[in-house]
Amino acid sequence: MTTAARAAVAAVAAVALIVPLLLTESQVSVYVLLLLSATVAIGLSMLMGYAGQVSLGQASFTMIGGYTAALTAVHGAPTWLGLLAAPLAAAAAAAVVGVPLLRLRGHQLAFATLAVQLILLNLVGRQDWTGGDIGLQGVPRLRIAGYEFATEVSYAYLALAALGLVALVTRHIVTSRPGRGLRALATSEVAAASSGVPVAAYKQAVFALSAGFAGLAGGIYAYYIGYVAPGSFPVLLSIEYVVMVVVGGAGTIAGAVAGATAITLLVQLLNDVGTREGMPASAPAVLSYAVYGLLLVLAMLFLPRGLVPSALALRDRRPVPKPRPAESEDRPPAPAPTQRQP
Amino acid sequence: MSAFVQYLISGIAVGCGFALLAGGLVTIHRVTRVVNFAQGMFAVVGGMTAGSLLARGLPHGAAEAAAVAVTGAVGLAVGLAATGRRGTDARAALIVTLGVGFLAYAVEIMIWGDGPRSHEGIGGAVTLAGAHIQKQSFLVIGVTAAVFALLALFFGRTYLGKALSACASNPYAARAVGIDVVRMGLVAFALGGALGGIAGVLLVPLQPVSYDSDVLLITNGFAAAVLGGLDRPGVALAGALTLGVAEAMVAGYGEASYQTVVALGLMLAIMTWRASRRSALQEEAAR
Repeated sequence: MTTAARAAVAAVAAVALIVPLLLTESQVSVYVLLLLSATVAIGLSMLMGYAGQVSLGQASFTMIGGYTAALTAVHGAPTWLGLLAAPLAAAAAAAVVGVPLLRLRGHQLAFATLAVQLILLNLVGRQDWTGGDIGLQGVPRLRIAGYEFATEVSYAYLALAALGLVALVTRHIVTSRPGRGLRALATSEVAAASSGVPVAAYKQAVFALSAGFAGLAGGIYAYYIGYVAPGSFPVLLSIEYVVMVVVGGAGTIAGAVAGATAITLLVQLLNDVGTREGMPASAPAVLSYAVYGLLLVLAMLFLPRGLVPSALALRDRRPVPKPRPAESEDRPPAPAPTQRQP
Repeated sequence: MSAFVQYLISGIAVGCGFALLAGGLVTIHRVTRVVNFAQGMFAVVGGMTAGSLLARGLPHGAAEAAAVAVTGAVGLAVGLAATGRRGTDARAALIVTLGVGFLAYAVEIMIWGDGPRSHEGIGGAVTLAGAHIQKQSFLVIGVTAAVFALLALFFGRTYLGKALSACASNPYAARAVGIDVVRMGLVAFALGGALGGIAGVLLVPLQPVSYDSDVLLITNGFAAAVLGGLDRPGVALAGALTLGVAEAMVAGYGEASYQTVVALGLMLAIMTWRASRRSALQEEAAR
């Protein structure tokens, strides 16, 4: 990491730490949701950018994490245990589901993950022990070593800690030897396998890990909001994660965080506009769908690498290298541009 | 027995709707390698447009035909967005069609609201072997049979259809003999849009749709199409009929709420089974 990048990360971290103290209560709640989305987006970004797999069902793992935390809590287990169990349960579910699913590639995997989420939503909505469509209510607040996370600001720091942890883990993975293997298999599985990369095991591991991140976010969400229901984790949420990753730039941690920030703030802004007086009742929905759609299309067509990588490339390109005099001597003179014209 | 016949016929009718969607998916995927996530949206737009036109007083037939023309145009627009720009690969195009689907949500809610809508098909019912069956079901089955027969003729006999098939089997060779592959891709999208629209106008009288019904429609259509590897319309038709009947039987004899679970589980099973027979090497060579 260069000194400039270090300074940038330190600055962002400092701002992120100060921000919750400056915001009003309702703004902090947006901030918490932003951080949780970013946590999920980093995992998905790793899956999409490094392992080359698209998941349209990432919210199913958020859901598993949320329900794990909520179920253990309402049955009287200590909440810190629930917070530990949430990512583990999500990762375990992904590991099991991944065995058949990760044989699929590209659009097939995209549809398969979407199907898994639809199945999960359907099943959870019908079980008594999950509370059916109403869901589980009255999830207690998180309590770790006697400290109860009761205020909005405490959850902001909890979510920030989760995001930091996830970013750190991801960074260590992508800069390590397995990380290089992952990048190789995203380009060509055959080439990676013939160079000795254990393709199936790595894909499985990344899938489970990204699910674990989503599960952690889901667990915090459950304690923060206090209830979980199938309606809290719609297919739209999965798509939202994909939009964040695509807009921010798949395969970078900063991209995932930037994407999550941009989308959350934009959606919040539109929500404010849509719920103003005089707007029709459907305005918030219309606006958010339109923005998701437009952003996906425009980002894919005109900014296929995402905001952060494109911005970095632009910055690196700006100092235009001057032609060295030594080069112009031994090369034939370039044809004058006027010659080309008819 | 009468219940069985009833489930069977209504299952076949719904399966025919899936088959039309799957046919559109296959047509587009064969030519452009793009999996069109907006395929379910065509059906929703088609069904709702037909309903609006009927409400304006257009006669049956004209309203449906106009709705199908509209979805054909919508399909063309989706194709332009997904493949019109150079260098958009198939995975990017899938995400573009996903985005277009969401844009369509916004437009659909603005025009038609967010509640489920339906319109009258041909009313009435007939009694067959003691079963009470809506006439619309037979209309769906008949139209689907006709459409697939016409598609077979189109791909096999007409110049345009053969050009489309040429692009599907080898885009490079097709370009070498002077076929404009990009334009053929757009034709495929328009055709796919029209097929989705037909599915919509036929299915809406049987089951109301709302703007977000497209997720279930597309997953069912995809499930049927993936049976033939997204490239074989005939297999897709067979898959769609099986799926429709299986869902109707689950809904009839089991519990209605589990019918999507069964369909999706079936799709997952088929996909993983097919994937286990294809190695990564074959898949990358086909790219």
